[in-house]
Amino acid sequence: MRITLALALLVALFVLGPLLVVVPMSFSTANSFEFPPPGYWLGYYRSFFGDERWLTPVFNSIGIGLATMLLTMLLVIPASFAMVRQRFMGRSAINLLLMMPMIVPNIVMALGYYTYFSQLKIIHSPLGVVLAHTCLSVPVCYLIIAASLKGFDRNLERAAMNLGASPLRTFWEVTFPVLRPGFLVGGLFAFIHSFDEAVVAIFISGQAASTLPRKMFDSIRIEADPIISVVSTLLFAVVLLAVLSPLAWRAIVKARSQFRAA
Amino acid sequence: MTVFDRHMNALSQTHSQGVVMTQAYLEIRDLVKSYDGKQQAVRGISLDIRKGEFVSFLGPSGSGKTTTLMMVAGFEMPTSGSILLGGREIAPVPAHKRNIGMVFQNYALFPHMTALENVGFPLRMRKTPAAEIARRAAEALDMVGLAAFGGRHPREMSGGQQQRVALARALVFGPDVLLLDEPLGALDKNLREQMQVEIKRIHRELGITTIYVTHDQSEAMTMSDRIAVFSQGVVEQFAPPLDIYQRPTTRFVGSFIGDSNFLDVTRQNDGLVAQGIGALNIAAPSQAGKFHGLVRPEAIGLWTGGDEQGHCVLSFLIEGLVHYGDSVLLIGSAAGLNLRARLPSVQASHLHEGDTIRIAWRENDMHLIPVQ
Ligand SMILES: Nc1ncnc2c1ncn2[C@@H]1O[C@H](COP(=O)(O)OP(=O)(O)O)[C@@H](O)[C@H]1O
Ligand SMILES: [Mg+2]
Repeated sequence: MRITLALALLVALFVLGPLLVVVPMSFSTANSFEFPPPGYWLGYYRSFFGDERWLTPVFNSIGIGLATMLLTMLLVIPASFAMVRQRFMGRSAINLLLMMPMIVPNIVMALGYYTYFSQLKIIHSPLGVVLAHTCLSVPVCYLIIAASLKGFDRNLERAAMNLGASPLRTFWEVTFPVLRPGFLVGGLFAFIHSFDEAVVAIFISGQAASTLPRKMFDSIRIEADPIISVVSTLLFAVVLLAVLSPLAWRAIVKARSQFRAA
Repeated sequence: MTVFDRHMNALSQTHSQGVVMTQAYLEIRDLVKSYDGKQQAVRGISLDIRKGEFVSFLGPSGSGKTTTLMMVAGFEMPTSGSILLGGREIAPVPAHKRNIGMVFQNYALFPHMTALENVGFPLRMRKTPAAEIARRAAEALDMVGLAAFGGRHPREMSGGQQQRVALARALVFGPDVLLLDEPLGALDKNLREQMQVEIKRIHRELGITTIYVTHDQSEAMTMSDRIAVFSQGVVEQFAPPLDIYQRPTTRFVGSFIGDSNFLDVTRQNDGLVAQGIGALNIAAPSQAGKFHGLVRPEAIGLWTGGDEQGHCVLSFLIEGLVHYGDSVLLIGSAAGLNLRARLPSVQASHLHEGDTIRIAWRENDMHLIPVQ
């Protein structure tokens, strides 16, 4: 018992270790990477928020992430309905195809996009990055949405139709609202996946469509600017917030319903 | 609708019922359903259900009750056969235009809506004005005793309460037929009995044609005007509860409903001979051949002596006793047959395992079922 606890703590430390270095460093006064920091201030935060070379990639990343999320959902929602509810020839082959981007190493995918998108003349453009990121986001988003669809009680749809709702109304009044949490989580993961992704972005985003991870990579290679620890900290905070928000939302809903029931 | 209107409606309904009585309202004709094109889940069912009737579908799990209900509701297309409602074929009518109310076993309440919103849903789909929706939904909730719970979500209610909301939702729009698929299966015994009474009360008040699916025979016996006994995709018998119990037409019906003893009976010359017992002094049916002789355990009593004319009297070795409180089930053998007899507890207090006693039943209490 005590051994497993110790083991769990070690794993947690191992996972959190880099953060314990990066977060304090972002408040450091040193002008290079130095640990432990000689002193603390907010100077690097100030220069980050005042520097267009950093803010442009931030907005690029947000825009590309949102577009990726939208496109992924447009592809994955219909695909999940077909895969979960229909039986057709080649179903398992399509299932494998949908999971492919998760199986093939990212660097291989990146090389492929690099050559193919050059021919299509959409390399170094936001469109290219969005297309590539969508492709990479599909598997995880599909897993989440297909799982929530499998757990959906089809009697709810039968009940709605029995009560006079046309198939279309049944979808908008019952199916969609009940599945919304699954859709939200799926969309969130698509966004985070794009926001986090570095390998493909380094290959194809170029200067014009540079995303935040790519800018960080460039910065560390070229100038070793301590601002990078600020970006890392902020990135971590954003992702943490995004992941925790569904949990927080559920807790709020639960507390509210308990309050009402009492 | 004023109280007076309602009264007049009720009057004209009872009046017309007297005339329509024998006329079918919901007709199911040679209904067949195969899901995979090979095996048939429903193998040719025909039923005529009258307006206002309470009919139960009773049968073991997998016998095709739900499938039949799904076809009536419009969720499954019949492979062949037809369903007529008030003389009109409804097979081409999609589920959402059939005006048939349904209560599902797992309630199927919309989790993102309150009880009141759930009950108002069918009215909203029918473009009823908002004020009227609010009024009628509240009335329907009141009818099932949940007037104070309109603002709750399904997850904030008990199973019994959810079932009541589902019932109110299925009735609020005035459906032509009400379908219930094992609606009480998930409730505990006390709540189940309470809901049985409630459903019967509502049926009485609204006079709505109702099909009630159950695998619980006592539920079907106490609630129904008629019971359709399902087995392996066919209806074995469709008759009032007492007929089903006293005069089953197949061995399956006799054994599925109530406890039973079956004796092999054959026709010899002009009389009937029961295996292990001998000649019977009862009028022989016109058919030739073999019969299952059904004797209910409670028709068997202790023999205290006297004129044996018209009785089967046997000596019976008790091999086991099961006490039910009010009655005792004796399990044992007589004349080489395994028999079960049920006695009131007061008559059985002196009996023990291993005792040999004299038992008897009236020959007229044996019901003959032709062997198919
Ligand atoms: N959606 C379905 N697809 C394939 N087979 C089904 C489906 N629903 C029911 N069945 C089969 O049809 C038969 C009758 O089932 P059902 O009507 O549900 O019986 P019951 O309601 O009497 O328990 C069973 O053998 C069952 O396995
Ligand atoms: Mg069933």
